Amino acid sequence: MSKLSDPLTPLTPAMFHVLLALAGDDLHGYAILKDVELRTDGEVKLSTGTLYGIIKRLLNDGLIIERRERPSAANDDERRRYYRLTAKGREVAAAEAERLEKVVALARSRRLLKRTQTA
Amino acid sequence: MNDGTPVRDSKQRSRPLQLLMRLLPAEFRGDYGPEMEQVFAEQREEARRSGDKMGILRLWWETAKGIFTTAPSEHWSMLKQDTGFAMRMMRKNLGFTIAAIIVLGLGIGANTAIFSVVNAVLLKPLPFAHGERLLMLSQRTVPGGGGVGRSSVPELIDYRAQSRSMDGIVEYHNMQFILLGRAEPERVETGVVSWNFFDVFGVKPLVGRMFEPADEKPGAPAVLLLSYEYWLRSFGGDPTVVGKTFRMNDKPHVVIGVLPPFPQYPHANDVYMTSAACPFRSSPEMIANRKGRMLRLFGTMKPGVTPGQAQADLSTVAATMQRDFPTAYSKDDTPKMEVTPLKAELTRDAKPTMLFLLAAAGFVLLIACANVANLNLARMVRRGREMGLRAAMGASRVRLFRQLLTESFILAFGGGLLGLLLATSGLKILTTFIARFTPRANEIHIDAQVLFFTLGIAALVSILTGTAPALARRGNLAAALKEGGTQSTTGARRSRTRGALIVAQVAVSFLLLIGAGLMVRSLINLQRVDAGFRPENVLTVQMSLDFSKYMSDPSMLNFSDSLLEKVRAMPQVTSAAMSGEFPLDKSPAFNNEFLIEGRQANPNDKPTAEFNAVTPDYFRTLGIPILSGREFDGRDRPDKLRVAIVNQSVVNHYFHGQDPVGRRVSFDEGKNWTEIVGVAGDVRERELSQTPKDYVCVPYAQYPQMAPGLVALTQGDPMNIARTVVTHLYEVDPNQPAGKIQSLEQVRSESIAAPRLTANLLGLFALLALAIAAAGIGGVMALSVSQRIHEIGVRMAIGARPVEIVAMILRQGMGLALVGVLLGLAAAFALTQSVRTFLFGVTPTDPLTFVGVAAVLTVAACAACYIPARRAARIDPLRALRVE
Repeated sequence: MSKLSDPLTPLTPAMFHVLLALAGDDLHGYAILKDVELRTDGEVKLSTGTLYGIIKRLLNDGLIIERRERPSAANDDERRRYYRLTAKGREVAAAEAERLEKVVALARSRRLLKRTQTA
Repeated sequence: MNDGTPVRDSKQRSRPLQLLMRLLPAEFRGDYGPEMEQVFAEQREEARRSGDKMGILRLWWETAKGIFTTAPSEHWSMLKQDTGFAMRMMRKNLGFTIAAIIVLGLGIGANTAIFSVVNAVLLKPLPFAHGERLLMLSQRTVPGGGGVGRSSVPELIDYRAQSRSMDGIVEYHNMQFILLGRAEPERVETGVVSWNFFDVFGVKPLVGRMFEPADEKPGAPAVLLLSYEYWLRSFGGDPTVVGKTFRMNDKPHVVIGVLPPFPQYPHANDVYMTSAACPFRSSPEMIANRKGRMLRLFGTMKPGVTPGQAQADLSTVAATMQRDFPTAYSKDDTPKMEVTPLKAELTRDAKPTMLFLLAAAGFVLLIACANVANLNLARMVRRGREMGLRAAMGASRVRLFRQLLTESFILAFGGGLLGLLLATSGLKILTTFIARFTPRANEIHIDAQVLFFTLGIAALVSILTGTAPALARRGNLAAALKEGGTQSTTGARRSRTRGALIVAQVAVSFLLLIGAGLMVRSLINLQRVDAGFRPENVLTVQMSLDFSKYMSDPSMLNFSDSLLEKVRAMPQVTSAAMSGEFPLDKSPAFNNEFLIEGRQANPNDKPTAEFNAVTPDYFRTLGIPILSGREFDGRDRPDKLRVAIVNQSVVNHYFHGQDPVGRRVSFDEGKNWTEIVGVAGDVRERELSQTPKDYVCVPYAQYPQMAPGLVALTQGDPMNIARTVVTHLYEVDPNQPAGKIQSLEQVRSESIAAPRLTANLLGLFALLALAIAAAGIGGVMALSVSQRIHEIGVRMAIGARPVEIVAMILRQGMGLALVGVLLGLAAAFALTQSVRTFLFGVTPTDPLTFVGVAAVLTVAACAACYIPARRAARIDPLRALRVE
């Protein structure tokens, strides 16, 4: 529907984390918040206010879509929506990860990092 | 974890959160609101479960912070999107965009210009410290005495001593003196004031110092303050003029300072002096004479005092004066003090005209708005499909509405910029115009308030022009989509709205045209009115004799005799005369009571007339007919029989229309009698719009004047001899300057400059309105034709002739125009009564104006409809039938 706002704009860390959260599984809003919080040991904390600004942008850019299927009624709340990473989203997230990897490699070559870590 | 069981409590909605979320754009709320509430509820529940009180607070804090940072960026991105889209649409419809911006620019420009004047003159406080406490004090010693109520020196002293409501009462009067010591003698308008006059007004000197108490002591050295305008005009703004000495009234006068620009009232003076320096005001007789009422009084109310209280307080003082000095006041009436806030006084003449013009400008703006709303509607027809599509794709009503408003705001903003440009360029003309009504004209600027007003108008305009199409879009969007937008169910409503907007434009234009038509008719009447004198080929010269030199009647008479002799000897001069005043010369009327011999004196109806002194040939020079008896001649010298000429009005009022020649009148309650030797025709002395007043003329030789005017009837352009007359004047007295030199035609034309400008301005507004409305009708008909191409094709295919097609389109357009004219007619009948005061010689429902305006409007509408009608008649039926 709308084209990527600006493909050259780097993802903000918060957006990247949302993509990372969705890289594992399709999640609803609250689950994304929890996932990001857990994985970053509470370092990156999204709030309802910021999360939906990000979701809107990612939806507009076609990096995520809303999933049609819903869980069984007992487990559902009609207000919840479930989001899924698109192929393009996966690509963008991967590109960002690669970019970060290169940055890390560079930092390592400049001896800013002490020991090698496996990704 | 993804499809985790939702918490039971999560359905509970949080009111504070909903309020917070109101900060977000409605569309965003619509998309994500419920989900956000749900997530928040789960977070809250989790925090509650953990039993951490701080956790809940932290959650609120984080959520609020998130919303506060997201809201502006969401609004901004939506605005950017809307603006970008609007700009693309406007570029695509460049014709529409330019038309709309021009129309709105004209409407907003007219309003901005008029508002800048209203703001500076009527709304802003006076540029004086405590301007709101300043009052003009008019003493009324005669019942029903109009004009300026002046006071005498003893009365001023009493008011100062006895009033309890005033902080300071100051005096003012105006004189024309002669300033010597420059290359040529100069006649200067002089304000004679109390030493603290400018302190009361809160005016500080630009250069030098103000008056001090010592400057007003009897016998103090005479000092002068220059007005800013005179300083620039005559001294080129040279600050070293301070300290220089000039001669006035046979005394040295030292310039002590220059005043800043400020609204000078009651007169725009060249110089100011204290009362001690004025030979008349400082004479012992004047100081002692309670009846010598030559001073205008101004004062500052004490803080907290209202004008009503001040009036009551000062009137009490006046009543005490009457009790203490019964001979100085009328026995039958209590003297009163009438107070007028200075601001009201300064803007009294300007206010009605300005409010009138503001209303006219408002009407122009209304027409402009209706016009652009119509253009918008017409565009909506073409964009129906686009809008339907966007609605189908999930754009909410709010979003579409917002989109339309954004577009109309950009247009209005463009119009506002253009309007500001137009207003700025027209401001100088407008300022000159308003200066005829108020001394505050110099304060007119485009300032922050005006900019704010323009912005406000632009916003209002965008709402007015943007809402109409948005409202007309109400109804079934899906239907609009299905039917391709050209024949939707909303189509009928839309064309009704368009028709109504056209009717409104025509009706309002009609009103404006009527207003302008009445003004123009008044102006023509003023130009044509028989003023009782013949202005062609008459030169007028105003003069003020030097008081210190011409102290006796013989010296004044000698001066006028010598000057007249020289002027009459000029080959181009047919006749010449001196006179205390001449028609329309703006000098104040000099009213005098008189007795008529043999007529029962009635204290309630004492004959009163304007008084003038003229030399022989005055009536001949001005072409004023002598209806009976004779004009003054060489017989009427000081030592001879006192004689007078009255005008026809006096004859009608006091002599029952019978010839009064030979009857006698007295100007000093019967001590001396004057014989009436002639009756002159009535003359409009003050204003062309005023019916002639009772008027009595006496020979100049018997009543010489300090400020005489010279009038000369010439062959050819009177201004050709102006320079020679001045040369003769200097031959008679090298220190005697001429004042204003004008032809009587100029004087006459200048006397109606204000109504002429009002008529011009209103005419301009009305023409604008007419052009906008005509363009509006044309545009709507063009659209209608393009929508009916198919139908017209069918009609032509089955034999309709082009003439019939033209007639059909004309009928449709003219139907709207005629409804508009009828509505305008009704409104005009209802409203024109309010313009009665501006009119002269024409009734507010003048049939000629009404018929004329209706005709002009109908013809304009017809012409506007004809263009699309002709296009319709040229449609090729075969091609038209193919149009779906």
